[in-house]
Amino acid sequence: MQVPSGVRRAFRLPASSGQITRDLEDEVAFHVAMRVQSLERAGLSHDDAIAQAQRKFGDVQDLHDYCVALEVPHMQRAQARERLSSIAQDLRFALRQMRRSPAFALIASLTLALGVGATTAIFSVVNGVVLKPLPFSDPQQLVQLWGIDANGRHLHFADPTFDHLLAENHTLSAAAEYNTGDMSFSTNGTATRVTAAGVSKEFFRVLNVRPELGRSFAPEDQQKGSPMVILISHGLWMRLFGGSESVIGTIIKSGETPITIIGVLPAGKEFPAGTDAWYPREPFGEATSYTAHNWNVIARVKDGVTTEAATRDVSMVLRRLHAAVGDATWTLDGTAIPLRDQIIGSVKVLLLLILGASAVLLLIACANVANLLIARMAVRESEIAVRVAIGAGRGRIAQQLLIETSLLAAVGCLGGMVIAAAGMKMLLVLRPALIPRVGELSLDWRVLVFAVVISAATAVALALVAAWRGTAGDLRAALSQSQRTQGGGGASYRVRGSLVVVQLAMTVVLLIGAGLLARSFVGLMSIDPGFRTHGMVVAGTVFDEPRDTNYIGRRSVYYQQLAERALAIPGVTSVGISDAPPFSNGSSNGEFLVLDNAGIKLAPSALEGMFNDKARTGYATYRTATGGYFKAMGIPVLSGRVFDATDRAGGPEVAVINAALAHKRWPNGDAMGKVIEFGNIDGDLTPMTIVGIVGDTREQDLAADPLPAVYVDFDQRPGNSNEMFVIMAATNEAGAIAAARRAFPQVRADVPMRFLTVEDIIGRSVDSQRFMLLLVGIFGAVALLLATLGVYSVISYLVAQRGREISIRVALGASAPQIVHLVLKQGVTLSLVGAIIGGVAALAATRVLKRLLYQVSPTDPIAFATVLVVLCGVALVASYVPARRAAAFEPMDVLRGG
Amino acid sequence: MPRDASDLLHGTLDVLVLKTLSWGAMHGYAIAEWIERRGGGDLVIVDAALYKALHRLEESGAITSEWGLSDNKRRAKYYSLTTRGRARLRSESETWKRYALAVGRIIESS
Repeated sequence: MQVPSGVRRAFRLPASSGQITRDLEDEVAFHVAMRVQSLERAGLSHDDAIAQAQRKFGDVQDLHDYCVALEVPHMQRAQARERLSSIAQDLRFALRQMRRSPAFALIASLTLALGVGATTAIFSVVNGVVLKPLPFSDPQQLVQLWGIDANGRHLHFADPTFDHLLAENHTLSAAAEYNTGDMSFSTNGTATRVTAAGVSKEFFRVLNVRPELGRSFAPEDQQKGSPMVILISHGLWMRLFGGSESVIGTIIKSGETPITIIGVLPAGKEFPAGTDAWYPREPFGEATSYTAHNWNVIARVKDGVTTEAATRDVSMVLRRLHAAVGDATWTLDGTAIPLRDQIIGSVKVLLLLILGASAVLLLIACANVANLLIARMAVRESEIAVRVAIGAGRGRIAQQLLIETSLLAAVGCLGGMVIAAAGMKMLLVLRPALIPRVGELSLDWRVLVFAVVISAATAVALALVAAWRGTAGDLRAALSQSQRTQGGGGASYRVRGSLVVVQLAMTVVLLIGAGLLARSFVGLMSIDPGFRTHGMVVAGTVFDEPRDTNYIGRRSVYYQQLAERALAIPGVTSVGISDAPPFSNGSSNGEFLVLDNAGIKLAPSALEGMFNDKARTGYATYRTATGGYFKAMGIPVLSGRVFDATDRAGGPEVAVINAALAHKRWPNGDAMGKVIEFGNIDGDLTPMTIVGIVGDTREQDLAADPLPAVYVDFDQRPGNSNEMFVIMAATNEAGAIAAARRAFPQVRADVPMRFLTVEDIIGRSVDSQRFMLLLVGIFGAVALLLATLGVYSVISYLVAQRGREISIRVALGASAPQIVHLVLKQGVTLSLVGAIIGGVAALAATRVLKRLLYQVSPTDPIAFATVLVVLCGVALVASYVPARRAAAFEPMDVLRGG
Repeated sequence: MPRDASDLLHGTLDVLVLKTLSWGAMHGYAIAEWIERRGGGDLVIVDAALYKALHRLEESGAITSEWGLSDNKRRAKYYSLTTRGRARLRSESETWKRYALAVGRIIESS
C-alpha cells in the first residue's frame, strides 16, 4: 500500500541529521530483510543469507555519509526558509493586530515618536555642539590664553604682555591676538554692517586656515601704516558679491577708509564664530600700556605638548613678567584653556542635562507603551496560552512579540525623526545664544544612527516586558481565568502600578524643573531695568571715521541731523544718542581719579602715581550720551542736571553719574560738583565736573545688580566705540522704524544701521532662560500628558479587572460614592507614591539648574508644592473617570457576563 | 555533491532507476530486483550505489519518496517519478541510445 504523495512533505518539519540517519537505517534494514527472505527462499541458511545480503549491499557507512552530505545543505535551506516564513507570518499577524486595534497602535507609536523625537532632537544638538570636533586641523592643539588678575579673574591681554609671552614661551608653535567689533562695509554706495576681527600676524597660522580664493595676509600688509586689506567670509562673499571671483582686488570703504579685499575664507572656518571679515591689526600700531587689556589670544601648542604643560609655561612667563615690571601690569598669572572647552564651556553640562531630561521623557514614553502592551497581553493571555499549548515555544512567542514591538518602534522612529527635524528647525529659528555653534547643527548620520539605535533598544525592551508578562505564570490558570476576568492577576497590576509610579516620579522632576525656571523667568521679566521697556526704538549705527581732531565735530553734526529727522517722525517724542546703552556691549569700564579742581592739567606720565593713591580713585563704567538720551530712555534725573546746549566742545567738561556710583563712592551724598577723570580711557585727559545724578540701569544681564556708571557728554568726549545708538521714544514702534529707515539714509547713505524695538532687546537678554524654560516646559507638559494617560489606563484596567468584586459590593449595598472612593483611593495612592519619590529625586536634580535661576532657590517650596498639587489633582481626575464607570456598574450584568 | 569514480556509471544507473520507476512507485529492493531481472543477470548492482542514486535523484527533484507499507506489511520507503523525472528519463534515454550506438559502431568496426 502507499501513502498519498505530498503528505510527507506537507508534514515535514525541518529534518535533523539524526532524522536522516534513522530514515536511512530503516530503509537499509528493510532492503536487507527482503534480500535475506529471498535468499532463504532460494535455499540458503539464515546465517549465509544474512552474510550474502550484507556483502551484496556494500559499504553502508559510505552510503550514510553520502546521504548526509546531500541532505544537510538542503536541510539548512529548509530551516532558513522556515524562519523567514515564520517572520513574514508574524509580520502579517502584527499588521493584522494593528489594524484590529488602531487606537492602540496610534497611541503607542505616537508616544514612542514623542520620546524618540525629543531625545533625537536634543542629541543632534549635543552632537553638533559637544561631540563634533572644531572645524580646524588638529583642534586638540588649539588653546585660548588668559591672563589672571589679583582676584583670580580672567584678563584679556595687553600688547606688551602678549609680545613678552610670544618671545618667552617654549610650548606654543603660534599665538595670535584678535578682537571683534562692528564695522561699516560700503560697496557701490550701499553700506552694510559686518562683524570684523582685527587679527595679529600668526592668526591664520594658529587656526591653519587658508583662503579658498585669493591670498592671505603678507608681511607688507602687517606693518604700521600699511594700506588696509581684508579677508572676507564665504557667507559675506555670497551675500554681497554673489560669489563672483572678481571680488579679489575690489576696494570697499569703511567710513572714509579704502580697504582692498584680498581673499575669501572657506565656509565653516570662521573664527570667532559669526565673523564676516578679518583685517591685520598691525597698521593701527600697538599700545604700550600693560593695562590696555584689549585682546583675546588664541594659540596652537607644539606637537606633543599638553594643555597642562602650556598652562605651566604661560603661567611662568607671566609671573616672571609681573616680577620684572611690578604694578605696571595687573596680569599676575596666566592660563591656557582648550579652545573647545572655552567655546562649549558650561553649556556642556547644561546640554547633557537637557539630554538627560529628554531621556527621561523617552523612558516615560516607554513605560506608557509597556503599560499599554501589558494591558493587551492580559487580553491576549488566552490566545498565547493556546499557542503555547499547541506547541509554540517561548522563543517563537518572543519572536512574535518582538516583531510587534519592532513595528511600533519603527513607526515611532519615523515619527520621531519628523519631530526631531521640526525641533531642529525651531532651534535654528530661536538660535539661542546659550548654545554655541548653533549654526553648525544638522541632522547628520550620527543623529540618524542614534535615533535608529534607541528605537531598536526600545523595541527589544518592550518585547522583553511583553514576553515576560505574556509567558509568565501558570498557563492553565490563564486559560481558565481568562474566561472570567479577561486579565492577569494581582501581579500584573503591581507591575503596571509601579510603571505608573516611575512615570509620575519622572514627571515630577521635569515639572519641578520647569516650575523653577518659570518662576525665575517671571521674576526676571518683572525686574525694573531702570529704563523704558515699551515704546522705544533703537537704531544701531556704525560711525567709522578717523579719530582726528575734527572727529567729535563731524559726529555731532551728523547725529544732530539724525535727531532732527527722528523728531520729525510722527509719534517720536524724544531722541537721544549714546555709544553704550545698557543692552549694547560698547561700554568700557575702569578706574577714575577724583581731582581737587577742574583746572588741573593731567600728564600721561603722572597718571600711574596718582592711581596708586586708592583714596583718590573710584571704579565705574564709562559711556557717552547726549542730553536727550536720559529722556528718550526714560532714565530719571535724581538731582542736578543732564547735558544741555551750554556744554560745548572745548568748554568746561561735565559728567553725569548714576545713583549706584553716587552711593558707593560718595556715601555722604556730596557727589555733585566733584571733579573726576578716567585717565587714559578715551585718549582725552580733560577733567570733568559732576553736574547730575540719574537713576540706575541694569546692564545686559538683568539679574545682575546695576553697575556704577559715569556718563560723559557726546558732544565733548570721543568715547571708545564706533557704534552709536539713536534712541527714540515712540508711541508707534513699527511706524517709527519704517519712517526712520526711509529718513536716516537721506542724511548719509554710507552709514550702516539696524533697527530694534526695546522688547527685542530685553527679550534677547533673557534668551537663555526663555530657551531652557521653553524646552523643559515642553518636556514637562508632554510628560504630564503621558503620565495622565498612564494613570488613566492603569486605573481603568484595575476597574475592569475587579469588576466582579465591585459588582458584589454594589449588590451587597455599597453606594456609588463608596465605589468611587474605593477606586480613587488606588489612584491617589499611586500618585502620592510617585509624587514623593519624584520630589526627592527633584531635590537632587534641580541643583544643576542653579546657574539659570534668578532669585529662586533650587528647592523653592512654591514650585515644589505647586507641582505636587497639580500632579495629584491630575491623577485624581484621571482616576475619577474610571471610578465613575465602576460606580455605574449594573451588578447583574457583570455577574451574568462573568 | 559527492561523486563516485565513474560518471558513466552514475549516468547509467540513474537512467536505469528512472526507467524502472516509470512503471510505478517502488521501494529500493524492488527496484534492485527489477533491474537485475530485466538485465538478465548481466547487470549486477551494488545496493549501496543504488541507494546513492536514489537519494541523489530525490535531491535533484527527479523522484520523490514516501514511507508506506510493503506487501508483507513492513514499513518501506517508496520512490516514484516526478514530472521532472519523466522529462529527464526521455532526454537521457535518447542520449544513452545514441551513446550506446556510437560505442557499438566503434567496437564493430575494429
